[in-house]
Amino acid sequence: MTKPVIKMFLALAMVCVPQLPVLAQSGPSYEDILAGLSDPERWLTYSGDYSGKRHSPLAQITPENVSALRPIWTFQTGTTTRGRGFETTPLADDGVLYVTGSNNLAWAIDARSGRTFWRYRRNLPSDLTYGASAPVNRGFGMLGERLFMVTLDAHLLAFDRRNGDILWDRELADYQVGYAATLAPLVLEDKIIVGISGGEYRTRGFIDAFDPVSGERIWRFNTIPGPGEPGSETWPDDPEVLAAGGGGTWMNGSFDPDLNLIYWGVGNPNPDYYGDSRPGDNLYSNSLVALDADTGKLKWHYQFTPHDLNDWDSNHMPVLAEIEWQGQPRRVVMLGNRNGFFYVLDRVTGELLLGKPFTSTSWARELDVDGRPNILNDGSQGCLPDPWGSTNFMPPTFYPALELFILTARETCATYVPEEPANTPGQSNFGGTAVIDAEQGSGALRALDVHTGDLVWEFTYPSPTFGGVLSTASGLVFAGDHEGNFMAFDAETGENLWHYQTGSRIWGAAAMTFMLDGRQLVLIPSGTTLTAFALPD
Amino acid sequence: MTLRDFIPHLPGCASARFILLGLLSCLTSISQAQSVNPLEGNSRAITGGGSLFRAQCATCHGADAKGIATIDAPDLTMIWSERDLSVSEVFSTIRDGVPGSIMPAHKLTDSELWMLVSYLQDVAVAGVTDLPAGDVVAGAEAFRTNCSACHRAHGQGGSFGPNLNAITTRRSLESIMASVRQPSVIIGRGFKPVRVVTSGGEEVQGVLKSEDAFSLQMLDERQRLRGFQKTELQSLERLQQSVMPPFSRTALSDSDLYHILNYLQSGAAQ
Repeated sequence: MTKPVIKMFLALAMVCVPQLPVLAQSGPSYEDILAGLSDPERWLTYSGDYSGKRHSPLAQITPENVSALRPIWTFQTGTTTRGRGFETTPLADDGVLYVTGSNNLAWAIDARSGRTFWRYRRNLPSDLTYGASAPVNRGFGMLGERLFMVTLDAHLLAFDRRNGDILWDRELADYQVGYAATLAPLVLEDKIIVGISGGEYRTRGFIDAFDPVSGERIWRFNTIPGPGEPGSETWPDDPEVLAAGGGGTWMNGSFDPDLNLIYWGVGNPNPDYYGDSRPGDNLYSNSLVALDADTGKLKWHYQFTPHDLNDWDSNHMPVLAEIEWQGQPRRVVMLGNRNGFFYVLDRVTGELLLGKPFTSTSWARELDVDGRPNILNDGSQGCLPDPWGSTNFMPPTFYPALELFILTARETCATYVPEEPANTPGQSNFGGTAVIDAEQGSGALRALDVHTGDLVWEFTYPSPTFGGVLSTASGLVFAGDHEGNFMAFDAETGENLWHYQTGSRIWGAAAMTFMLDGRQLVLIPSGTTLTAFALPD
Repeated sequence: MTLRDFIPHLPGCASARFILLGLLSCLTSISQAQSVNPLEGNSRAITGGGSLFRAQCATCHGADAKGIATIDAPDLTMIWSERDLSVSEVFSTIRDGVPGSIMPAHKLTDSELWMLVSYLQDVAVAGVTDLPAGDVVAGAEAFRTNCSACHRAHGQGGSFGPNLNAITTRRSLESIMASVRQPSVIIGRGFKPVRVVTSGGEEVQGVLKSEDAFSLQMLDERQRLRGFQKTELQSLERLQQSVMPPFSRTALSDSDLYHILNYLQSGAAQ
């Protein structure tokens, strides 16, 4: 063939058989999420891995060089949200950050520049209920080419991560009753696990599993039992009370792939402060539940605050670790609770191993042999920790090599005034109020010995703080405070090594870290900004 | 509770109860945001509004409606005096929320909204309602002599202490007297006295405006804004005595104080 003929042949071939570009990799798989933070360039789930430790193996930034850490870019939401802003943890994959914000905004951001690839804004109804009072979101879940996000009108969305298009949209519950959703979905191999907000309304909490492809619901676990079901004996024999018993599941859970168990916190019973209408322990409110991931069936539960009257939800990140306990290796789940106690439980059986106060709470100072709090002050003996609690949903960290559980502690003083509520669907139903003495508030970053619950070190803040915590294997702890400081500490001693004023309180959010082009980035959300830090080139 | 429960108590409505046109006009006027709260002063409305407030509003605005500064939730006892809001503006704000802020819209009936407005009118800080007569000109002079070095009013005076414009609409006579006679008993946020010594040996005293784990911000005695890193300080002392001196009756008689309050209430510099 002559050259022109060859050219013509090739031209025809291109017309007949279009040359499609080779597709980029198809996004992280379940195995990738299971591998946790072993790939230094990824952060694929809320806590970095299924364990909830929020402990990164990265070690480029160290106690010796952290003082040189500096911002390399700041992303702004471009909105005027006041009060609670960013509570999200960005996900990182292939140089792209997937970020959710208040009022169900979301973005894909270039991790090198802080510039956006796409932006999403949900068209929310004007009559939101719980979602209007806490218009926050804690992050995406990711699997393959899909992202998953919950909404303030209580839906679960699946996105195409390449362009932000919505692939499917499923209603979790009727927002007009009081439901909303704010957490970061937990992605398993073939399920998306989500929980629900709205325990301040006449709602009934649940944990749902959805099919990531079809969006069909696979199972639901109701946190408040139905009439006659196990646990219903801890409530009045009244279907209406059970149907509006609260028990929100609004914070993320963790997952043990070997045991195939999901660990999830359950919030306050409804009404919050008024208990006369709901005598009994009110299971499974204020509990940690362990559910079979395939069926959603309850394996075990532990209730931290029976018959709660103080809005001390147990919606905390359950932290899974393997530690030696009294000479034996033990698979444990740990958490600092809003009621002021630090707990260590055997996560196979739910057996209580340790429960010890980490604040000066006068509510209780010890647990009975059966694990119930020995209540010393029901509020009649002076003020109690406020409804925001001795800690809250801001993520803690577990530093394995030091066996330290590091969390944000709040020292507060509130007087509770219960009042029989109107019980109106669609209206918040606190059942009274809490009078907070702001003059008596303070905060601290506290490192606890997980074997004893003893305080190893602390760094104090002038006000009750809501910032979360990250640790890195180089011996660093990163934390945020209520005054807007993003800080680094020596994990061993608690010495403050570096701080940066972000300009807005760091509320509910914790830092994440990953490698990009050979450089370790640390990101912190604050107010309506997200700032990336790195060492100088 | 519905609007019907209140209708017999509404001024102007009772006489129209048997006149159809009058009743319609009365109901129409109640169901819309209007310049007069039809339930103002109604004790049942105030009680019901209080319950609604505790259920719907207290989480952000505090059980005492005095706001929570750390989440930018305003003090609702001051909205009438500080912002000069009308009842219809308060009604609309509760109903519609504040766009771009955390304050949501509320799906309440008009009567419930008016009950909330009634409650907020009831808990509003009344200010000085029983001010004895005084001489405005003498008050202006006494203010210049005793107060204006630190306090500003009618566009004149210092900035070290709180601005006293409209103080008589925000505080009761009793509370103002207590602050003048014993200023250290209650020291307001933003006016707590501190003394620092810098690493260079400079001693600075003033009032604390803000503080975090690493720094503090103060207005010093020379009314200069100063910021310090705590690592630069040799010492930080939190003082118990307000920088406002106590004024005994010998130093400032009750009648002089009444002159000053009459001057402050007069709304004009003298």
